[in-house]
Amino acid sequence: MTTVATTRNPGSLRALYSGNALAVVSRALQATRSSNWVVVVSGFFEPVFYLLAMGWGLGSFIGDVTLESGETVPYAAYIAPALLAVSAMNGAIYDSTWNVFFKMHFGKLYDAMLATSIGPLDVALGEIVYALLRGGVYAVGFMSVMQVLGLNLSWTAVLAIPAVLLVAFGFASVGMAVTSYMKTFQQMDWITFALLPMFLFSATFYPLSVYAEPIQWVIKALPLWHAVELVRGLTTGVLGPVMLVHVGYFLVMITAGVLATTTRLRALFLS
Amino acid sequence: MTEPDRLTEPDRMNEPAHTTTPGAVAEPMVAAAFAGALRPRRFGAWYIAEHQLRQMRSYGWTVVMSGIGSPLIYMLGIGLGLAAFLDVPVASGPDGPVDYLWFVAPALLATAAVSVTTEEFTYTVMAGFKWRRLFWGMNASPVSPEQICSGLVIAVTLRMVFVSAAYYLVMVLFGAVGDVVLGTLMVPVGVLAGLAFGLPLLAFSAGIEEDRGQFAMVQRFVFTPLFLFSGTFYPLDTLPVGLQWVGWISPIWHASEAGRLLSYGPGPGSWPLGAHLAVLALLAVVGWFVARRVFVGRLRS
Repeated sequence: MTTVATTRNPGSLRALYSGNALAVVSRALQATRSSNWVVVVSGFFEPVFYLLAMGWGLGSFIGDVTLESGETVPYAAYIAPALLAVSAMNGAIYDSTWNVFFKMHFGKLYDAMLATSIGPLDVALGEIVYALLRGGVYAVGFMSVMQVLGLNLSWTAVLAIPAVLLVAFGFASVGMAVTSYMKTFQQMDWITFALLPMFLFSATFYPLSVYAEPIQWVIKALPLWHAVELVRGLTTGVLGPVMLVHVGYFLVMITAGVLATTTRLRALFLS
Repeated sequence: MTEPDRLTEPDRMNEPAHTTTPGAVAEPMVAAAFAGALRPRRFGAWYIAEHQLRQMRSYGWTVVMSGIGSPLIYMLGIGLGLAAFLDVPVASGPDGPVDYLWFVAPALLATAAVSVTTEEFTYTVMAGFKWRRLFWGMNASPVSPEQICSGLVIAVTLRMVFVSAAYYLVMVLFGAVGDVVLGTLMVPVGVLAGLAFGLPLLAFSAGIEEDRGQFAMVQRFVFTPLFLFSGTFYPLDTLPVGLQWVGWISPIWHASEAGRLLSYGPGPGSWPLGAHLAVLALLAVVGWFVARRVFVGRLRS
């Protein structure tokens, strides 16, 4: 790699980023169209099934839920934004872990990409943008279902779509950084295992108030809780300055994730 | 386990395995080979099961952690969290309303056993036939296709026994069982549910030549709806009648109801235990026969 080092300093931005992340995105889109679009489309149904099963069935036993602000909303309107946030998390994690892992270790795709002028930051951004496109399609679909079922309680629900993209960006960038440390498929199961408690505990199906205060603080440190609160605030129209904290949480997460991913890809492929 | 000998197949061993002198030209090595084939011929399924279990050891920590960790998390999240939040009783036993935890725990146990099969009877099968072609290697030995199928089922059954037993222990720790002694029968019921769902799935997976995301579709459009609409979190009759049929065909519903009967007895309108077990057994047996046929058809073609 000495020839590269003389022309491009490996630490400089030019060596990391060639401004061609869109090539990575369009490659991913073409691959989706030719191979697994049915699987991609079917991802939309998962949160809808959960909404129907939990919102309807369990909702008949729960009735209305009182938010921390004191407002009451129907149970289905309470869990729908949480399911939206969860599906943003799952979609982003799935794309940035399983897909990236496969491309990294079996497809040897990144070796090929990095042999061209594309740099590690292009790869990281390209993969993340693709994950966001996919997440955006799911979000629009699910928001339409919510609208039809009358679960969007305020006009601010429109803002839930960019919010979901922000959430997905956060999870995708961190997920990719974590994946770069994975050596075997079995280690990937630990990611699934880490997501399960977040899914169940992050005020998804019931308010945090059922927990003791120390446990509440632990949950409030986790990203999914911020995602759920942010999206729920927007769809129910119960907004406050705390929304900025949730947004800030994800901005930090995105920055840290992109930095870590780029560093790791450089260490893996360009050293 | 005695497997029927298939000695008439022309492309397999022409000699009956139990005749030790295959002819006048028999050399000692040939005789030794035939003698060595005797045990695999008879106990082949167990050899395959042993192989599959050893293979599972490569992800042993995942098996153990998800086997014990998932029930803990579900019991905390759904059993205690959601239960604390619900102020209306959801389900009733013979003596009136029961704890939500009592109601939901048997369903979670059955779901755990069934979800083992969504992993082991899909990707593992695809790996055996196509990706790693292990089943073809086994097929080249005296072991029969039926025995390969049975061996896989034995190994997965053992994993389900472990998962169900771990779930049951966690349930007992959480006080989620009415009758702790009778409730232990939930472990075999959970395994039966796993087979009732898993063996038809095995038959389906064994027939797949090309992976086009069928397993993701099964997960999304079969397993997830069955899990969610099987009276898992609230009684089945709360659902609109148009959706209740999902429960009637769902191994998860039958096993959940059987588990509830064992834990706290029959609630109003519940089916008899025998009916639930009969449905589960029927699904398992039909799946078993079809799966074996598919294995034979594919490995002998």
